[in-house]
Amino acid sequence: MKYLPKQISLEEWDMQYDELHKAGLQEPAYGGRLSRHVEDRDYRLLKLRYDNSAAALRLWNFLLTEEDRLQKARDDGKKLVGAMKDLGTVPVMAYSFDNMTAFYPDGAWWIPCVMELNAGLLEIADSLGIDESFCPVRAMLGAFATGAHFPIPDFLVCSVGATCDDFSAIAQRLNGMGHPIFWWEIPHRRHPERNEENILLPGGFTAPKCQLDFVKSELERVKAALSDIAGMEINNEKLSSGIKKANQVRQYLSELRYLVFTAELCPLPALEMLIAEMLALHFCSDRDETIEVLKYLLEEVKTRIKAGHGFFRADAAKIFWVNPVADLQVMNLLEDCGGKICGTEYLFAHALDMIPENIPPLDALAQMALADPMAGSTIDRAQRICNDIVKYGSEAVLISRIPGASHCAIEGEIISQVVRDNFDIPVLEIEVPPVTDAMRPTIQTRLEALVETVKARPRNINNK
Amino acid sequence: MICAGIDAGSRTIKVVLMDAASRRILAKDITDQGLDQGQLASALLDKALHKSGLKKQDVASITATGYGRYAVDIADTTITEITCHGVGVHHLVPNAMTVVDIGGQDSKLLRLDEEGKVRDFVMNDRCAAGTGRFLEIVAKRLEVELESLGKMAAKSKKPSPISSMCVVFAETEIVGLLASGASRDDIAAGVQASIASRIAGMAGRSVAPPIVFTGGVALVPEMKNALQSKLGHDVTISPDPQMTGALGAAILAARKLEKESK
Repeated sequence: MKYLPKQISLEEWDMQYDELHKAGLQEPAYGGRLSRHVEDRDYRLLKLRYDNSAAALRLWNFLLTEEDRLQKARDDGKKLVGAMKDLGTVPVMAYSFDNMTAFYPDGAWWIPCVMELNAGLLEIADSLGIDESFCPVRAMLGAFATGAHFPIPDFLVCSVGATCDDFSAIAQRLNGMGHPIFWWEIPHRRHPERNEENILLPGGFTAPKCQLDFVKSELERVKAALSDIAGMEINNEKLSSGIKKANQVRQYLSELRYLVFTAELCPLPALEMLIAEMLALHFCSDRDETIEVLKYLLEEVKTRIKAGHGFFRADAAKIFWVNPVADLQVMNLLEDCGGKICGTEYLFAHALDMIPENIPPLDALAQMALADPMAGSTIDRAQRICNDIVKYGSEAVLISRIPGASHCAIEGEIISQVVRDNFDIPVLEIEVPPVTDAMRPTIQTRLEALVETVKARPRNINNK
Repeated sequence: MICAGIDAGSRTIKVVLMDAASRRILAKDITDQGLDQGQLASALLDKALHKSGLKKQDVASITATGYGRYAVDIADTTITEITCHGVGVHHLVPNAMTVVDIGGQDSKLLRLDEEGKVRDFVMNDRCAAGTGRFLEIVAKRLEVELESLGKMAAKSKKPSPISSMCVVFAETEIVGLLASGASRDDIAAGVQASIASRIAGMAGRSVAPPIVFTGGVALVPEMKNALQSKLGHDVTISPDPQMTGALGAAILAARKLEKESK
């Protein structure tokens, strides 16, 4: 560890990059200066603060070169699958095919933030009748219309049923724009009735076996459709091997989360943690490299913890964060206000759980799909959040609403209530649009007040 | 030692000068907010010092709060208005468990513990509905002074239903109500009920009494009654409700001095 942990600007990263390079920094092909991504009009990068480790540099470069990887996959003759809404199930299947790369077109919801609204994607969505009363994921429509941010996939697959209403509307609009979608249904997870066989799902939820059988049958259809696109059948052995690889990613993330959320001195800032967690969804279009990126990051975190190095003061307020933010800068802002991340629930907690390897692979994937926190009641989701609050020793909960997202309209109050019923800790809701510049003072006041509220209480800052 | 609290709110700046040891208020003052918040705050502090026969060098600590707190460069500490209102109200009404603060730009609801520390809070973040700005807009539309709105509301027999989601839409509704012959008294009462509904919505299902009402809007007659009706509990207006944030800031400045002297 050449440099002590520090958050630095893009400009500072450039200077440090030169030093690291002179000192013999080994980088993968996608490596390089972070500032080069600003040439793609990713102006928000100029306003973020970054972890100064080589491991974090690799993470950022990996994230910001996904489009190049997708293009290369296409050039290499691989089939591109856009796995929509489903968070972490179909990509596991798709990556089990040798000639397939899956990605997450919904990820386009961050483009308006990263490009500071200069891409015009939201305006295109507006013109298609999907205005700002919908989730910012509507930017995906603009990305498909322009074809400028990712290659148009060979196959689009999207889950419907117990999914966000606004997302379904956006996906249907996309379908209507001439991008046919293969729909598969995820039912609203319910508790088993009397006389129904009960299945315990990863993450601790339960569901009746008939629901699991139904989801499995839906995934059979997805598998058949993927086989058609790939031009090859896939056997259980291949699927199991894909599950093993996905579990490697999840294992690294699980370890990373535990270490970061429970360390006395925070070994990795909130922004880099958010990006690392997002890799679980679709592996940023390269599953094997995801494993390497996370392995490197985990090593850095372990080294920092061992050396007693980290970010922020040890008495930083430990905040459990619910929902991902549309504006990445808000993760920096939390730390500016005296908080640190201590537990997260970014809508895909199930994609961080280990996929069972001791049952047939499609049964295992069906269990994972049904364990999606968004597929069941918000009370179930809140209970899972409560479990993690205990696990990590969080001192407050911050629920960041995504403007227009249909689930956000109702979940905040429910999660707040369940948390308050279980713990005497403050809960705060904020709304985070794609670019928060004009709202920064009001968001900052709320975050500062949350931190003040935590710090005014009796605390056990070494609580693990 | 003397300490000061300055609350740079969206509509006004308030200052409280306090004797740190006795917590006795030595002077207080208020002025309208403006472009140069730092200069306005400094001038207001000078005025308060002059009133109490003190000099700037007598002030050992200044805490600024309010949305403009970072512009108050004479302050040595900044603390959010949430914490300051909690401390200020607890000082004045020690058994308060809930604070409703309705200011010019936002509204907030604080839950306090027995020691007056903030346990939890909620703030409006979508629209000026539920804030003093709504009352200002309505007063202008009804062509009356802001102070008259409360008196008009008191005369209402049947408050007009007005939405609490958006001030702009609510203004359109008021135009429609006027056109349909609704009385200005009923509209004024409807607006107060709308603001109170918004606050009750923020409060959720559990509001612990005693409830104390602070902020500039607490000075508007009948707002207290509108809140009581929607919250289902008695509401007490804080003494000098516009000054509670500055008072809390002054107390926190005093605590800081105490801590530093130990």
